Amino acid sequence: MEEYAILAGDFSAIGEASTKFKATLKMLGIPSDLVRRASVIAYEAEMNALIHGGGGVLRMTVYDDRLEIVARDEGPGIPDVSLAMQEGYSTATDEIRELGFGAGMGLPNIDRNADSLLIETEIDKGTTLLATVIFPSP
Amino acid sequence: MKIRDVIEKTGATVLAPGDAERELAGAISGDLLSFIMAEAKEGWLWITIQVHLNVAAVAVLKDVPFILVASGRAPEQALVERCAAEGISLAVTKLPAFEAAGALRELAR
Repeated sequence: MEEYAILAGDFSAIGEASTKFKATLKMLGIPSDLVRRASVIAYEAEMNALIHGGGGVLRMTVYDDRLEIVARDEGPGIPDVSLAMQEGYSTATDEIRELGFGAGMGLPNIDRNADSLLIETEIDKGTTLLATVIFPSP
Repeated sequence: MKIRDVIEKTGATVLAPGDAERELAGAISGDLLSFIMAEAKEGWLWITIQVHLNVAAVAVLKDVPFILVASGRAPEQALVERCAAEGISLAVTKLPAFEAAGALRELAR
Protein backbone atom coordinates (compact mmCIF):
# COMPACT_ATOMS: atom_id res chain seq x y z
CA MET A 1 0.00 0.00 0.00
CA GLU A 2 1.21 3.47 -0.82
CA GLU A 3 -0.36 6.72 0.22
CA TYR A 4 0.40 10.31 -0.70
CA ALA A 5 -1.00 13.62 0.40
CA ILE A 6 -2.25 15.93 -2.35
CA LEU A 7 -1.60 19.42 -1.10
CA ALA A 8 -4.02 22.24 -1.88
CA GLY A 9 -2.82 24.82 -4.35
CA ASP A 10 0.33 22.89 -5.20
CA PHE A 11 -0.15 22.68 -8.97
CA SER A 12 3.49 22.16 -9.71
CA ALA A 13 3.45 18.89 -7.80
CA ILE A 14 0.37 17.54 -9.54
CA GLY A 15 1.09 14.16 -11.03
CA GLU A 16 3.80 13.45 -8.50
CA ALA A 17 1.82 10.86 -6.54
CA SER A 18 0.70 9.09 -9.72
CA THR A 19 4.21 8.98 -11.18
CA LYS A 20 5.44 7.43 -7.93
CA PHE A 21 2.62 4.87 -8.12
CA LYS A 22 3.63 4.06 -11.65
CA ALA A 23 7.24 3.45 -10.64
CA THR A 24 6.06 1.11 -7.88
CA LEU A 25 3.80 -0.86 -10.23
CA LYS A 26 6.62 -1.26 -12.75
CA MET A 27 8.92 -2.43 -9.99
CA LEU A 28 6.32 -5.03 -8.98
CA GLY A 29 6.39 -6.38 -12.55
CA ILE A 30 2.76 -5.53 -13.34
CA PRO A 31 2.13 -5.77 -17.14
CA SER A 32 2.67 -2.42 -18.84
CA ASP A 33 -0.86 -2.02 -20.22
CA LEU A 34 -2.27 -2.38 -16.69
CA VAL A 35 0.35 0.03 -15.40
CA ARG A 36 -0.72 2.62 -17.96
CA ARG A 37 -4.40 2.17 -17.12
CA ALA A 38 -3.67 2.55 -13.42
CA SER A 39 -1.53 5.60 -14.17
CA VAL A 40 -4.36 7.35 -16.02
CA ILE A 41 -6.76 6.63 -13.14
CA ALA A 42 -4.31 7.83 -10.50
CA TYR A 43 -3.42 10.98 -12.42
CA GLU A 44 -6.98 12.04 -13.13
CA ALA A 45 -8.07 11.27 -9.56
CA GLU A 46 -5.13 13.25 -8.23
CA MET A 47 -5.97 16.19 -10.49
CA ASN A 48 -9.62 16.14 -9.47
CA ALA A 49 -8.81 16.04 -5.77
CA LEU A 50 -6.50 19.02 -6.20
CA ILE A 51 -8.52 21.14 -8.64
CA HIS A 52 -11.99 20.52 -7.20
CA GLY A 53 -11.43 19.02 -3.76
CA GLY A 54 -8.81 21.40 -2.43
CA GLY A 55 -6.33 18.59 -1.89
CA GLY A 56 -6.70 15.25 -0.21
CA VAL A 57 -5.18 11.79 -0.16
CA LEU A 58 -4.34 9.34 -2.92
CA ARG A 59 -3.88 5.72 -1.92
CA MET A 60 -3.04 2.66 -3.95
CA THR A 61 -3.29 -0.92 -2.70
CA VAL A 62 -2.07 -3.90 -4.72
CA TYR A 63 -3.71 -7.27 -4.07
CA ASP A 64 -3.02 -10.65 -5.73
CA ASP A 65 -5.89 -10.26 -8.16
CA ARG A 66 -6.45 -6.50 -8.42
CA LEU A 67 -5.31 -3.05 -7.53
CA GLU A 68 -7.36 -0.37 -5.90
CA ILE A 69 -6.90 3.36 -6.15
CA VAL A 70 -8.67 5.56 -3.63
CA ALA A 71 -8.77 9.36 -3.84
CA ARG A 72 -10.33 11.19 -0.94
CA ASP A 73 -10.90 14.88 -0.47
CA GLU A 74 -12.86 17.09 1.90
CA GLY A 75 -14.00 19.47 -0.79
CA PRO A 76 -17.44 20.72 -1.82
CA GLY A 77 -18.71 17.36 -3.10
CA ILE A 78 -20.25 16.67 -6.52
CA PRO A 79 -23.90 17.85 -6.80
CA ASP A 80 -24.68 15.68 -9.84
CA VAL A 81 -22.37 12.71 -10.40
CA SER A 82 -23.96 11.64 -13.68
CA LEU A 83 -23.38 15.14 -15.07
CA ALA A 84 -19.78 15.06 -13.85
CA MET A 85 -19.32 11.73 -15.65
CA GLN A 86 -20.31 13.33 -18.96
CA GLU A 87 -17.43 14.00 -21.29
CA GLY A 88 -16.87 17.73 -21.73
CA TYR A 89 -18.64 18.80 -18.55
CA SER A 90 -16.36 20.70 -16.20
CA THR A 91 -16.64 23.27 -13.45
CA ALA A 92 -12.97 24.24 -13.63
CA THR A 93 -12.05 27.94 -13.78
CA ASP A 94 -10.63 29.62 -16.89
CA GLU A 95 -7.29 29.93 -15.17
CA ILE A 96 -7.14 26.16 -14.68
CA ARG A 97 -8.28 25.53 -18.25
CA GLU A 98 -5.49 27.66 -19.69
CA LEU A 99 -3.05 25.21 -18.18
CA GLY A 100 -4.71 22.39 -20.09
CA PHE A 101 -6.76 21.04 -17.20
CA GLY A 102 -10.55 21.11 -16.90
CA ALA A 103 -11.33 19.45 -20.22
CA GLY A 104 -14.21 17.56 -18.64
CA MET A 105 -12.46 14.30 -19.38
CA GLY A 106 -11.09 13.30 -15.98
CA LEU A 107 -13.91 11.11 -14.67
CA PRO A 108 -14.65 9.63 -18.13
CA ASN A 109 -10.94 8.75 -18.44
CA ILE A 110 -11.05 7.04 -15.04
CA ASP A 111 -14.23 5.18 -15.93
CA ARG A 112 -12.75 3.96 -19.22
CA ASN A 113 -9.64 2.56 -17.56
CA ALA A 114 -11.18 1.05 -14.42
CA ASP A 115 -12.96 -2.29 -14.19
CA SER A 116 -15.16 -0.79 -11.52
CA LEU A 117 -15.66 2.72 -10.22
CA LEU A 118 -17.41 3.87 -7.09
CA ILE A 119 -17.93 7.52 -6.15
CA GLU A 120 -19.24 8.54 -2.75
CA THR A 121 -19.88 12.22 -2.41
CA GLU A 122 -21.61 14.52 0.00
CA ILE A 123 -22.17 18.26 -0.44
CA ASP A 124 -19.74 20.32 1.70
CA LYS A 125 -18.26 17.10 3.14
CA GLY A 126 -16.15 15.76 0.32
CA THR A 127 -15.71 13.00 -2.21
CA THR A 128 -14.19 9.54 -2.11
CA LEU A 129 -13.44 7.73 -5.33
CA LEU A 130 -12.60 4.03 -5.49
CA ALA A 131 -11.37 2.61 -8.78
CA THR A 132 -10.41 -1.04 -9.26
CA VAL A 133 -8.28 -2.62 -11.95
CA ILE A 134 -8.57 -6.40 -12.07
CA PHE A 135 -5.53 -8.44 -13.10
CA PRO A 136 -6.27 -10.98 -15.83
CA SER A 137 -6.01 -14.53 -14.47
CA PRO A 138 -2.77 -16.19 -15.62
CA MET B 1 10.87 8.48 -38.08
CA LYS B 2 13.36 9.06 -35.29
CA ILE B 3 13.37 11.83 -32.70
CA ARG B 4 16.49 13.21 -34.39
CA ASP B 5 14.62 13.46 -37.74
CA VAL B 6 11.80 15.47 -36.17
CA ILE B 7 14.24 17.87 -34.53
CA GLU B 8 16.02 18.44 -37.85
CA LYS B 9 12.83 18.79 -39.88
CA THR B 10 11.24 21.33 -37.52
CA GLY B 11 14.48 23.20 -36.80
CA ALA B 12 13.87 22.62 -33.10
CA THR B 13 16.17 23.54 -30.24
CA VAL B 14 16.84 20.64 -27.89
CA LEU B 15 16.44 21.41 -24.17
CA ALA B 16 16.57 17.84 -22.83
CA PRO B 17 18.23 15.24 -25.04
CA GLY B 18 16.52 11.94 -24.16
CA ASP B 19 17.29 9.27 -26.78
CA ALA B 20 17.51 11.02 -30.17
CA GLU B 21 17.86 7.69 -31.99
CA ARG B 22 14.54 6.40 -30.72
CA GLU B 23 12.08 5.43 -33.43
CA LEU B 24 8.68 7.08 -32.95
CA ALA B 25 5.58 4.90 -33.11
CA GLY B 26 3.17 7.77 -33.86
CA ALA B 27 2.36 11.36 -33.00
CA ILE B 28 -0.34 13.44 -31.36
CA SER B 29 -0.95 17.16 -31.07
CA GLY B 30 -2.95 18.77 -28.27
CA ASP B 31 -2.96 21.05 -25.25
CA LEU B 32 -5.62 19.44 -23.08
CA LEU B 33 -3.80 17.17 -20.67
CA SER B 34 -6.70 14.77 -20.19
CA PHE B 35 -7.05 14.41 -23.94
CA ILE B 36 -3.41 13.38 -24.19
CA MET B 37 -3.90 11.06 -21.19
CA ALA B 38 -6.75 9.43 -23.10
CA GLU B 39 -5.29 9.24 -26.60
CA ALA B 40 -1.48 9.15 -26.56
CA LYS B 41 0.21 5.79 -27.03
CA GLU B 42 3.56 4.47 -25.91
CA GLY B 43 6.43 5.75 -28.04
CA TRP B 44 4.57 8.68 -29.59
CA LEU B 45 5.66 12.23 -30.19
CA TRP B 46 3.54 14.88 -28.46
CA ILE B 47 3.26 18.38 -29.97
CA THR B 48 1.92 20.99 -27.55
CA ILE B 49 2.05 24.63 -26.51
CA GLN B 50 1.80 23.78 -22.79
CA VAL B 51 5.09 24.48 -21.04
CA HIS B 52 4.51 23.77 -17.35
CA LEU B 53 5.80 20.93 -15.21
CA ASN B 54 2.72 18.77 -15.59
CA VAL B 55 3.50 18.13 -19.21
CA ALA B 56 6.34 15.89 -17.99
CA ALA B 57 4.01 13.99 -15.64
CA VAL B 58 1.66 13.18 -18.52
CA ALA B 59 4.57 12.07 -20.71
CA VAL B 60 5.96 9.83 -17.97
CA LEU B 61 2.57 8.25 -17.24
CA LYS B 62 1.84 7.57 -20.93
CA ASP B 63 5.38 6.49 -21.91
CA VAL B 64 5.70 9.40 -24.34
CA PRO B 65 9.44 9.77 -25.13
CA PHE B 66 9.41 13.12 -26.95
CA ILE B 67 7.67 16.46 -26.29
CA LEU B 68 7.89 19.06 -29.05
CA VAL B 69 6.83 22.50 -27.86
CA ALA B 70 5.38 24.54 -30.72
CA SER B 71 5.20 28.28 -31.51
CA GLY B 72 8.53 28.91 -29.82
CA ARG B 73 7.03 28.91 -26.33
CA ALA B 74 9.59 28.73 -23.57
CA PRO B 75 9.26 25.74 -21.21
CA GLU B 76 9.51 26.36 -17.49
CA GLN B 77 12.88 25.41 -16.10
CA ALA B 78 11.19 22.81 -13.88
CA LEU B 79 9.83 21.09 -16.99
CA VAL B 80 13.27 21.02 -18.63
CA GLU B 81 14.82 19.54 -15.51
CA ARG B 82 12.10 16.93 -15.08
CA CYS B 83 12.38 15.79 -18.70
CA ALA B 84 16.14 15.50 -18.35
CA ALA B 85 15.74 13.44 -15.17
CA GLU B 86 13.17 11.14 -16.80
CA GLY B 87 15.10 10.68 -20.05
CA ILE B 88 12.38 12.39 -22.08
CA SER B 89 13.40 14.42 -25.14
CA LEU B 90 12.18 18.02 -24.94
CA ALA B 91 12.63 20.42 -27.85
CA VAL B 92 11.15 23.76 -28.92
CA THR B 93 10.32 24.67 -32.51
CA LYS B 94 9.41 28.15 -33.73
CA LEU B 95 6.81 26.54 -36.01
CA PRO B 96 3.19 26.58 -34.86
CA ALA B 97 1.75 23.12 -34.09
CA PHE B 98 -0.04 23.00 -37.46
CA GLU B 99 3.12 23.80 -39.43
CA ALA B 100 5.21 21.37 -37.38
CA ALA B 101 2.72 18.57 -37.95
CA GLY B 102 2.64 19.41 -41.66
CA ALA B 103 6.42 19.19 -41.89
CA LEU B 104 6.30 15.79 -40.22
CA ARG B 105 3.66 14.51 -42.64
CA GLU B 106 6.18 15.10 -45.42
CA LEU B 107 8.81 13.24 -43.44
CA ALA B 108 6.51 10.27 -42.79
CA ARG B 109 5.72 9.79 -46.49
